[in-house]
Amino acid sequence: MIDETIQSGFNWTLTTLIFSPLMGVAMVLTLHRDDHSRIRLMALLASLTTLALAVITAFEFRSAAVQTSGNGWALYHLQGDLAWLDPDGPIDVRYHVGVDTISLWLVLLTAFLTPLAVWASFSGIRERVREYFALLLLLETAMLGVFCSMDLLLFFVFFEFTLIPLFFIIGIWGGAERRRAAAKFFIFTVAGSVLTFGGVLFVAYYVYSSAVAYGLPDAKFTMSIKDLIAAGRAGRIPADVQWWLFIAFAAGFAVKVPFFPLHTWLPLAHTEAPTAGSAILAGVLLKLGTYGFVRLCVAMLPDATYAFAPFMAVLAIVGILYGAFCAWAQTDVKKLVAYSSVSHLGFCMLGLFSLKLAGATGSIIYMLNHGLSTAALFLIVGMVYERYHTRDMDKIGGLARTMPWMAFFLIFFTLASIGLPGLNGFVGEILVLLGTAYSDQPRTSPDDLGVGPLGFAYAIPAALGIIFGAVYMLSMCQKVLFGPRREPPHTPDASTGLTPDLNGRERAILFPLAVACLLIGVYPRPLIDSLHPAISVNVFQLYYMPSSTPHGLELMVDETAAAAPSADTPAIRGNSSILPEPA
Amino acid sequence: MDAHRIQYWVLLVLLAPPAASILAAALGPRFLRGQTHWLPILGVGAALVGSVNLFNQVRAAGEAHGSIVVELYRWIATVPDQWFSVNVLVDPLTAIMLLVVTGVALLVVVYSREYMSDHGHPVRGYERFFAYLALFVFSMCVLVLGGNFLLLYLGWEAVGLCSYLLIGFYYDRPSAAAAAKKAFLVNRIGDFGFGLAILLIYVTFQELDYQAVFAMVDAGTTASGEALTSGRVTAIALLLFCGAAGKSAQFPLYVWLPDAMEGPSPVSALIHAATMVTAGVYMVVRCGAIFAASPLAMALVATIGAFTALLAATIALVQFDMKRILAYSTISQLGYMFLGVGMYAGSAAIFHLFTHAFFKALLFLAAGSVMHAMGGVIDLRRFGGLRRVMPWTYATMLIGALSLAGIPLLSGFWSKDAIIHAAFENSRLLGWIGLLTALLTAFYTFRMVFLAFHGTTRVPDGVHAHEAGAWIKLPLVVLAVGSIFAGYADVTFLSGGFAGAFDPHGWFSHFLSSVTAPFAMHHAEFAAAGHMQKYGLLYMSSAVAIGGVILAYSLYVDSPMLGLIIRRAFPKTHQLLSNKYYVDEAYESWIVQPLRRLAAFCYAFDRYVIDGLVWLLTAVPRLAALVLRVFEQGRLQGYGTSMTIGLAAILFLILVIGG
Repeated sequence: MIDETIQSGFNWTLTTLIFSPLMGVAMVLTLHRDDHSRIRLMALLASLTTLALAVITAFEFRSAAVQTSGNGWALYHLQGDLAWLDPDGPIDVRYHVGVDTISLWLVLLTAFLTPLAVWASFSGIRERVREYFALLLLLETAMLGVFCSMDLLLFFVFFEFTLIPLFFIIGIWGGAERRRAAAKFFIFTVAGSVLTFGGVLFVAYYVYSSAVAYGLPDAKFTMSIKDLIAAGRAGRIPADVQWWLFIAFAAGFAVKVPFFPLHTWLPLAHTEAPTAGSAILAGVLLKLGTYGFVRLCVAMLPDATYAFAPFMAVLAIVGILYGAFCAWAQTDVKKLVAYSSVSHLGFCMLGLFSLKLAGATGSIIYMLNHGLSTAALFLIVGMVYERYHTRDMDKIGGLARTMPWMAFFLIFFTLASIGLPGLNGFVGEILVLLGTAYSDQPRTSPDDLGVGPLGFAYAIPAALGIIFGAVYMLSMCQKVLFGPRREPPHTPDASTGLTPDLNGRERAILFPLAVACLLIGVYPRPLIDSLHPAISVNVFQLYYMPSSTPHGLELMVDETAAAAPSADTPAIRGNSSILPEPA
Repeated sequence: MDAHRIQYWVLLVLLAPPAASILAAALGPRFLRGQTHWLPILGVGAALVGSVNLFNQVRAAGEAHGSIVVELYRWIATVPDQWFSVNVLVDPLTAIMLLVVTGVALLVVVYSREYMSDHGHPVRGYERFFAYLALFVFSMCVLVLGGNFLLLYLGWEAVGLCSYLLIGFYYDRPSAAAAAKKAFLVNRIGDFGFGLAILLIYVTFQELDYQAVFAMVDAGTTASGEALTSGRVTAIALLLFCGAAGKSAQFPLYVWLPDAMEGPSPVSALIHAATMVTAGVYMVVRCGAIFAASPLAMALVATIGAFTALLAATIALVQFDMKRILAYSTISQLGYMFLGVGMYAGSAAIFHLFTHAFFKALLFLAAGSVMHAMGGVIDLRRFGGLRRVMPWTYATMLIGALSLAGIPLLSGFWSKDAIIHAAFENSRLLGWIGLLTALLTAFYTFRMVFLAFHGTTRVPDGVHAHEAGAWIKLPLVVLAVGSIFAGYADVTFLSGGFAGAFDPHGWFSHFLSSVTAPFAMHHAEFAAAGHMQKYGLLYMSSAVAIGGVILAYSLYVDSPMLGLIIRRAFPKTHQLLSNKYYVDEAYESWIVQPLRRLAAFCYAFDRYVIDGLVWLLTAVPRLAALVLRVFEQGRLQGYGTSMTIGLAAILFLILVIGG
C-alpha cells in the first residue's frame, strides 16, 4: 500500500519557497523610495532567489520521488503540516503544504515568470517603484501558496489573496481606464469566489456530518483536500450534493479561467494592466482557475464532473471559437492577445473534461505552454508600447525593418501560440485533441479512465479553433511587422533610453522563454513522464488507497465495487478497488 | 539494411541543414555576410551525400528488405508506454524523395548565390534567406523521413512555415506579406482536415505509426478488434486528402500558389514547384493502404486531380506573368499526379513528381534568370526576343519547356504518358481530360517561350539585359540534363515497345513496387492492358504535344494577328480566364467577408450583450444604494428627523399595539 506519510516531521522546503518573496518585499521596503535602481535590483534578486529555491525544490522532489518505493512520482512530497487551530478541537484546519508533479510544474512556471516580469518592469514603471515591486513579490507568494496548499482553507486564503496585489497593480500602474478595469476584475472574481467559498465550507461540513452519521469514531471537521477527495471518490458525497458543489466551485474557478461567458473582465484587465501585470495575469493567475478545476471538481466530484462534462466541453468549445473571433475583430494588440487567452483556455478545459489521461495531461501542459507563450507575447507588446505609446495596429506597421529582434521573437511566440509542431503549443494541443477525440473509447491502459463523456464530434469544432487561431495571430503579425512602415509622429520614443530595436535586457528576458518553448516542443518527455502518474493517482484516483480514514470507508468502496466499472462502463466513480496494485 | 549505418546517414541528413540554418542566422549578419551561402551549400551538400548513401543502402537491400524504421527518441505519449516516437522510415519512396529534395535544394542554393545579389552585392536579408532555405530543407527531410503521422504533420507544418517566411521575404511589399499569410491560412484549412484525420486514425487504431496503422488497415480491423468499416476508411482517406489538397494546391485550395510567386524565384523553384507542393502526392502514396482501401476516395482523388489539371491549364493560357504561368502549370501538373494516384498508378505519380522536379525547377530558375536580367520585371508584355541576349537561359528553358510539354523522348513525356495511360485504363473520361490538358500544356508553355524569347528584342526601359553568370548557369545546365534524361529511369531499352526501342515501366516502378503494392493489389496496373492501346497512346500523346507547340508557334510567332482575332471573338471567355474564374473574389465575398462580419458581431455581442447583462446584475446593488442614499445624506437634520420618526414609530408600536 502506498502512503506518503513515510516522511516525518515538518519539511521546510516549500514553506521557505512560498514565503521567500516576502523577504524580498521587506528588503525592498527598507530602501529609499527614490532609489529606483537599487529597488529594481533588489526585487530582481529576490525573485531570482525564489527561482533558485524553486529549482532546488524540484530536485528535492525528484530525489524524494526516486527514493519512495512504488509509484513515488505520483505522490505528494516535501509535505509540511502544522495544525492551524487547536489540533484536539473539533475543527481540523491545518497549514498543510505539499506538492505533486502537477503543482510542482506550476510552481516552477510561477518562479520562472516572476523574475522575467520584474525585469521587464525596469523601464516601464517610473512612479511608486518601491510599492510596485513589493506588490509583485507579494503576488508571487500568493500564487506559490495556491499551488502548494493541501488544505482547502489554506488554498482558498491564498487563492483570494492573489486578488489584492493584482488589484493595486492594475489600479495604480495601469492604463487610462485602470480604475474601471481593477474594479471590474475585482468584482467579477470576488463574486465568483463567494460561491466557491460557500462550496468549500459546505463540502467540509457535509463530509464531516456524514462521517458522524456513519458513526466513524474519529470523525473530524477536516479541510484536508486529500481526505475530502477520498470521501468524494468513495461515494460519500451523493450525486445531487456533488452537483451543487460543482456549480459552486465552478462559479469561482470559471471566472478565473476565464470561461465563456464569464470572461469579459479579462480583456479589460489585460489591456489596462501594466506589462508585467498582464504577463503574470495571463501566465499564472488564469491557471489558478484551471488548477482549481483539476483539484476540486474533477478529483473530488467524480459524478458531477462526469455529468457536467459535455456541458463544460460545449462552453469550452464556444469559448475557443468565440474568443478567436473576438480576437480577430481587435485593432488593439493587447486586447487581441487577451482574447486569444479566452480561446486557449478553452482548450485547457476541453482536455480536462475529456476525462482521459491524454486530455488531462495535455490540459496541464497547455497551462504551462500558455503561460510561457502568452506571457512572452504580452511582454513584447509592452516593449513595443514603451517605444510607440500605442497598441493600435492601424497606427503601427512594418516594424520588422527597424526592429528585427522584436520581429523574430513576435513570430516565434506567435508560432508557439498557434501550435506549430516542434514548439510547445503543439504538444498540449495534440494531447487535448486526442484526449477529446478518443474520450468515448474504452481504456487502453490501466493508468487511464474508461469510457469518457466526450468524443470525436467535440474535436471537430475545437480543431476548427486552430485555424482561426492562425488567422488572427498571423493577421496581427502581418499588420505590425510587414508592409510599409507606419509610426505615430515623434516615435520611437528614445527619451527613456530605449534603443529602436529590443535592447540587451529585453532580449535576455525573451530568450529564456523562447528556449523553454523550444525545449518543451522538441522533448516534452520529462513533462509527460512526470505528469502521468500524478494525474492517474491524484486526479483520476486510480490505485487510490484511502489511508487517513480507515473505518467505514472500505464498506463504501466495496459497495461501489459491485457496480464496478469495467473497460466499457464509465470508469470514473469509485474505481479504486477493482484495479490491480501497481507493481 | 544495417540499422546502425542507416541511423548515421539519417542523422547526417537531419542535422546538417538545421545546423547550417542556425549558423547562418547566428553568424551571417555579423561575420559572414556575403559569404553566408557557403553554410547552406555545405549543409545541404552533406544532406545530399547522406541521401545518396541512404538510397544506395535501400537499393542494395532489394525490394523485399528495402524498408526499415529507426527510432531516434520518444516524443509524445497519450498513456504511459504508448509513445509517438521521433522515428524515421527509410524505404524506396523516402529514398527517392530525399534525393529530389536535397538534390534540387543544393542547385537552388547555388543559384541563389548569384540571384540574391544585385550587381555582385548581396541584397538585404541575404543571410536570412539562406537560413530559411536551410530550415526548409530540414523540414522537408523530416516530412519525408518521418515514420508516423505526427512527424508527417510536424514536417508538413514546418515546410508551411518556411514557405510563409520565404513568400514574405520581401515583407516591405504589402502584396508579399498578404500572399504569405494567404498561403499559410489556406494551408491551415487543409491541415484542419489532416489534423482530424490524425485524430480519427488514433481513435480507430490507437496508433499513429505508419506500419502499425497500415497493417491494421490491410487486416481490416480496428484497435478493439472489430471490423473496419469502409465508411471509416473513406472518412480517414478524405480527411487526409484535405491536407494533401491544401499543400499540393488542388481545387478548391489551389488559390494560394499563384500568389506565392511573390517570393524570390529560387524559392518558387524549390518550394513551390519541386518539393513542398509535392508533399500531398507523397502523402497519398505513402498512405496507399488507406486510400486504396476506399474506392470512393480514390475516385475523388482522381477526379479532383483531373479537374484541377484542366482548370489550371485553362487559366495559364491567358496569363502574362511568367512565374504565374508556371505556377498554374505546377498546379496542373500536380493535378496529373493526383490523377495518377487516383487511378491506382502510384509509381507513375511519383515518377511524374520525380521528372517534374527537374523540368519545373529548371523553368522557374530560368524564369528567375530572365527576371534578374530584366530588373525584376516578369510581365511578358514588357519584353521579348531575349533569345539572342540570353542564349544559355533560352537554351535551358527551351529544354525545360519541351519536357513539360511532353515532347517525345524527354523526361516529361514518359511520366505524363504513364499517367494518361493509367487514366484510360480506368476511366475514359478522365483519360481524355488528361490528353486535352496535355494539349493545353504544350500550348501555354510555348506561348510563354515564344513571347519571351522570340520576335524582336525588347527590354524594359533603363534595363541593361545580360546573360547570367556561372552560379546561375550551372544549376540550369544540370537541371536541363536531368530534364532530358531523368525519364529514362523508368524506361526499358530494346524491349520492342514504342518505336521499336523503348518500353515504359522499367527500373523506377520496380524499385517502388513495395511501396505501391497496395495500389497494385487493388488494381493490376498495366499487365492487363493490350499492346495496341499501350503503344497507340504513346503515339497519340506525342502528336498532341507536338500539335500544341505548333499551335502556339502559329498563333504567337507565325501570325500573331490570328491570336488577336481569336481573343476578340471570345471576349467573355478571355475575361473569365484572365480573371481566373473569379475564384479569389468568390472566396473573398462568400467566405472571408462573412467570417469577418461574424467576428465583428462576436465582439459587439461581447461588449453590449454580455457586458450589458453584467451591468444589469451590478445594477441591483447600485439601485439599492440609490434608494438608501436618500437616508444617508450626511446632514444632521436628516438624521435627527429620521431618528425622531423612528422613535415615534417605536413608541407608537409599544403604546398602541403592545398596550
